[in-house]
Amino acid sequence: MTAADHTPATPGLWKTAIMKLWRDKVARLALLVLMFFYFSAAFADMLTPYSMHFNDADLANAPPTVVHFKDRKGNSCRPYIHSVERSFDPATFKQTYSERKDKQYPIKFLCHGETYKLLGLIPMDLHLFGVDAPARLFLIGSDINGRDNYSRLFFGAQKSLTIGFLGLFIAFPIGIIYGGISGFAGGRIDDVMMRIAEAIISIPSFYLLIGLAAILPPEMSSSERFALITVILSFIGWATLARIIRGMVLAIKEEEFVQAAFAVGMPRFETIVKHVLPQTSSFVIVSATLQVPSFILSESGLSFIGLGIQQPDASWGNMLKAALDNVNDLLNQPWLIAPGILIFLTILCFNSVGDVLRDVLDPKMQGIS
Amino acid sequence: MSNQSSLLSLLIYLISAALFLPSLFGCTTKIAETPKQDTVLQSKTDAEKTATEAQDALTRSIYRVRDPGPFKLVTVKSLDPNSKTTDECWQARGEAGKFGGTLTVSIFGRDPKTYNYWDHQDAESAGLGLLMFDRLVEIDPWTGKMNPRMAKSVTVEKDKKTFTVKLRRGLKWSDGHALNADDVEFTFATIIKRGFGNSSMRDTLTVYGQFPEVKKIDDLTIQFVTPRPFAPFVSMLTNAPIAPKHVLEPITKRPMEEFHAFWSINCDPKTLVVSGPFKVGRYVPGQRIELERNANYSMVDKNGARLPYLSKFVIAVVPDQNTQILKFYGKELDFLDIRTVRGFDAALMKQRESTGDFTMFNLGPNDGTQFLMFNMNRRKDPKTNKYYVKPIKQEWFNDRNFRLAVSHAISRKRLVDNILRGVGLPLYTAESPASLYFNKALKPYPQDLNYSRALLQKSGFVLKDDVLYDRNGNRVEFSLTTNAGNSGRDATCIMIVNDLKQLGMKVYYQPIDFNIMIDKTAHSCDWEAVMMALTGDKVEPYNGANIWKADGRLHMFDQRLPDKNGTVRAPDARDWEKEIEECFNKAGTTFDEKLRHRYFDRYQEIVYEQQPLIYLYCLLDISAANNRIGNYRPTPLGITYTPRGSFHNIEEIYIKKAVQN
Amino acid sequence: MSPAVYIFKRFLQAIPLLLIISVLIFTLLKLSPVDPLAHLKANPSISQAAIKAEEERLGLNKPAPVQYGIWLRNLMQGDLGISTSGSSVSTLLVNRAGNTLLLSLLTLFFTWLIAVPAGVYAAVHRGKWVDKFFGLVTAVGMSMPTFLLALLLLMLALATGALPIGGLTSPDFFEKNVFQQILDVAHHLIIPVAVLTFVNLAHIQRQMRANLLDVYRAEYVRTARAKGLPENVVIYRHALRNAINPLITMMGFEFSYLLSGAALTETVLAYPGLGRLTLEAVLTKDINLVMASLMLGSVMLIAGNLLADVLLKFADPRITLE
Repeated sequence: MTAADHTPATPGLWKTAIMKLWRDKVARLALLVLMFFYFSAAFADMLTPYSMHFNDADLANAPPTVVHFKDRKGNSCRPYIHSVERSFDPATFKQTYSERKDKQYPIKFLCHGETYKLLGLIPMDLHLFGVDAPARLFLIGSDINGRDNYSRLFFGAQKSLTIGFLGLFIAFPIGIIYGGISGFAGGRIDDVMMRIAEAIISIPSFYLLIGLAAILPPEMSSSERFALITVILSFIGWATLARIIRGMVLAIKEEEFVQAAFAVGMPRFETIVKHVLPQTSSFVIVSATLQVPSFILSESGLSFIGLGIQQPDASWGNMLKAALDNVNDLLNQPWLIAPGILIFLTILCFNSVGDVLRDVLDPKMQGIS
Repeated sequence: MSNQSSLLSLLIYLISAALFLPSLFGCTTKIAETPKQDTVLQSKTDAEKTATEAQDALTRSIYRVRDPGPFKLVTVKSLDPNSKTTDECWQARGEAGKFGGTLTVSIFGRDPKTYNYWDHQDAESAGLGLLMFDRLVEIDPWTGKMNPRMAKSVTVEKDKKTFTVKLRRGLKWSDGHALNADDVEFTFATIIKRGFGNSSMRDTLTVYGQFPEVKKIDDLTIQFVTPRPFAPFVSMLTNAPIAPKHVLEPITKRPMEEFHAFWSINCDPKTLVVSGPFKVGRYVPGQRIELERNANYSMVDKNGARLPYLSKFVIAVVPDQNTQILKFYGKELDFLDIRTVRGFDAALMKQRESTGDFTMFNLGPNDGTQFLMFNMNRRKDPKTNKYYVKPIKQEWFNDRNFRLAVSHAISRKRLVDNILRGVGLPLYTAESPASLYFNKALKPYPQDLNYSRALLQKSGFVLKDDVLYDRNGNRVEFSLTTNAGNSGRDATCIMIVNDLKQLGMKVYYQPIDFNIMIDKTAHSCDWEAVMMALTGDKVEPYNGANIWKADGRLHMFDQRLPDKNGTVRAPDARDWEKEIEECFNKAGTTFDEKLRHRYFDRYQEIVYEQQPLIYLYCLLDISAANNRIGNYRPTPLGITYTPRGSFHNIEEIYIKKAVQN
Repeated sequence: MSPAVYIFKRFLQAIPLLLIISVLIFTLLKLSPVDPLAHLKANPSISQAAIKAEEERLGLNKPAPVQYGIWLRNLMQGDLGISTSGSSVSTLLVNRAGNTLLLSLLTLFFTWLIAVPAGVYAAVHRGKWVDKFFGLVTAVGMSMPTFLLALLLLMLALATGALPIGGLTSPDFFEKNVFQQILDVAHHLIIPVAVLTFVNLAHIQRQMRANLLDVYRAEYVRTARAKGLPENVVIYRHALRNAINPLITMMGFEFSYLLSGAALTETVLAYPGLGRLTLEAVLTKDINLVMASLMLGSVMLIAGNLLADVLLKFADPRITLE
């Protein structure tokens, strides 16, 4: 990438960029889906019938609850469910879940349920929908501990979706500053710094990831572990960015306005921050949008093999683990794939937005993948 | 110009941050308050009753086949054409079968590491070795008594310290070399006594610190003399197959490290010399091991023809149980041994039994035990002079009422239902119900939270606002650990956490790496509560001595560590710990079966009363065999390491529609 | 500069890189309170003395820098050490790396076979429904996690029973003749190759299309058209040759993606490859094995990049190897 390829970003360009993004149908849809996911994650407590840890141990491994829309006479009515009980037949080794048709439990909307703190601040107990105990509304079944899969998908979203951005907030500043300094300094310092970055890039990223995850100290609360995994993910991400930024800085260094700044006597560090780095901003934005899904994917991969977010916390990756455990029965329990589908959709949306953003901000930036 | 653009980008990110930051709060919530216990559909007693019915039904449906009686010793034409005498062979007890055919089984996890049984460190190598090397005696799969195998007879002399072992005539190694008392003497007096390879074999045969004397009387007779009467001695002989002296003796003259490398898994299998029914023909790393028939094997069938029937025995290496089951459906494998078919697999497989042309066999409870334990260590670490366990918690863990309360608060029925999908049994005792010495008098008990709360009250614990405090006002909280990556253990611990929450205890669940967990329990004693499992023994409880003797290597609930000189002492052993040790010592030295039962019963009783290990559940052993396998008659007692597994009579297994090859 | 000298120079440059990598990896592994003998210690029938012997054998009670030095010295002599399982590390690696290499090469082959023509076609027919179709397929391909796709294909295999589940060869592999053996391996490779190809071709197809579009607008293409050359010749002789250059560079990175993405796929599909071996080694803290396979992975990556650079030189003489 030469200096001639590079279009410096102007505020006018930004405005048109955002408008163009919105106008593109695919990008708009993707943005809406993402906003929906993040909204659901933020308000998970309210949108789900049960909390992350709620369990009915007598109804573990249950299939999705059947919602009835027709009453006994065959007329349509308010949706309701029956309570379910589990029985075991020693001859066939089979556990069966059968409805107790004696009582109907209507699905209540905007009902009271378990208490929680909305956004961590406001104590509330309002849930979008739910049923009275002892009936359980397990829309996509329950897991091995009797916890509601549907609710946990929302809570899993909290971890899986945020870890992408958090990783970004750590990796990108490091990468940009590292690359900026290296490119600007040039010479020996540049050489050494780039060697180290290259070394990190040269290790296959997934192997490095599991190596790092495997050495996490054992005594950690779930939030500590979450934070540390984020740090580990960033450790993978910064090096590539640093290299490219360094390349761009090297090129921009030669441009006229930078030379002018030096001639006028501006201190070097100020020059980097004020003049050189912002030139890379459009590249950084696009790169960031495309890096978030990669972080989400890495976290899912880690949790999928048991090294990431641990039980009893929910993350899409470790919920997908249940699918791997039951792989022989996947055809009978297809709902186990749901977390994977959500991961896929999230990444698809981010990629779509990133694609359009790239086209919009700088059509010549085809070299990014 | 550029300032504004960077400002704008910052703004964009701040807005997106505002969207997702609230979701972050959810990430940092600790385990929320459990909702109040809902009213359940049936009454508690009803539910427990159905549970016991299901368990009884499971126990009743254990596959039972009639005891065919003892082996018959017959004389056959010698393998050696120049010999003037006949060979003595055991006659297999099953029906006569067809020669030829290949049986394909599988093991999951890792490949075996070595063909050298005497150097094995892992179960896979042990299982492979048991297919290739015979032992002096073997456990009878029906009665649990010791049957002579390579031996013709094993007699205990009047002094109860001398064991005379007579070998059968005509035994040969696979390379034609004669197998006689020289090999037996070499195996015990050289390899095992001097600690070549896996020195645990020496430990199991060492009685009161002394290795027995090994005396060769004549070519076919050997005598062992123990320093004191030791009842389990004959059963310990099953841990030691006989090694070929003419092959291994040169190696024992070299440094011990070379023994490790000898006959490792990557050596040329053609150099193997075996005494068992099969010998390795080819090994493809990570894929399979192919064993071939040993024509010199010394067992015959009902018609006097030399066994084994099978021409080839193939062991496929498969990464996990799921793949094994799929390959079994796809007819790539003929057989699935125990440990492959788990709770949730059983129901699915049962459905396909008729169409899949295979049969499932319920072989009863496994010999392993899953349990929860507390660190009852009351000592200080000599290196740091700090207590291993905080004194506050020491008080709780050493309080019998506390442990009993925990034990009664756990719903074992739900554990079996959820983790094992009903295919398993709750466990309350140190020996699994499969053990011959299982103490039937110890009664199971259901979850009873009121009883637990009463027990805690007795010890001065106070429940305030759903939080439990001890009598000094400290909040009752501790960490629970198990090895990470195991969904079943994860789920078990989460259920324990939830059950104990009902008592007001706050339990932090932390799965950690398996290696680290072992390090903590065995060396650093840096743990509070751990959930784990151990294998057991259905026939000889004495094999668990390491766990129950106060100075035992696996006495994990109060692990005594070696001092500077490497000796382990237990000066602070509790009275009941000492009593358990006495039971083991007495059971070890008497030959009176009734007395042995009494002593083992008593040790189980003490464990039941004191609950140093809070037992949870045990799994069922289930195998599945393609219907074309003949003579497969598994029994609960006839189970050993896979791949030999439940093929206690592997030599007479045959393929029903075999083609001569 | 001749290719041979260039290769040699790059090789020299790679050595300090590899050294840094090895120090990094070794430090990582040493940072955790590791006990590779834990499996032994959990077995009731193995004595203390037996465990001590294992410790001696693996040299675990020596200080870390000494262990690293020992490992490095052995590496020079070609001895990669013994894994805690007992077998030699080099045998394990050679075996498994071969399988991963087979998988990667096949994936590369099919990826290029499909992606390059698809990219060209999409570029030539830009805006038409074919282009949009490929756009959708590649969007899905880029977003699909490999382990999810592997799970989905497994479900398909279960449902239809047409494909073998996992592994590389059937149990009766050695009874078959050579032709049947090749078919057997190919049969087992269908799902793993399909998963990795689908995910990888997305990048290549899009890059190809973008490059070709770029080149399309360039001056010399217009000149060629103005000269009256048929469209085919314009595309395939002039435009494509230039468009393909950046793709060759990408091949180097392909290797990295393949090695990384393959690890999870191998785990789900029980494929006996390097990725799964490394994963298991990391989980059991098998130090010798982890270091060796991470080093091998890095070597393969650096080799891939080098190969890509050299290929580029042959493809486009204008680029100097500097």
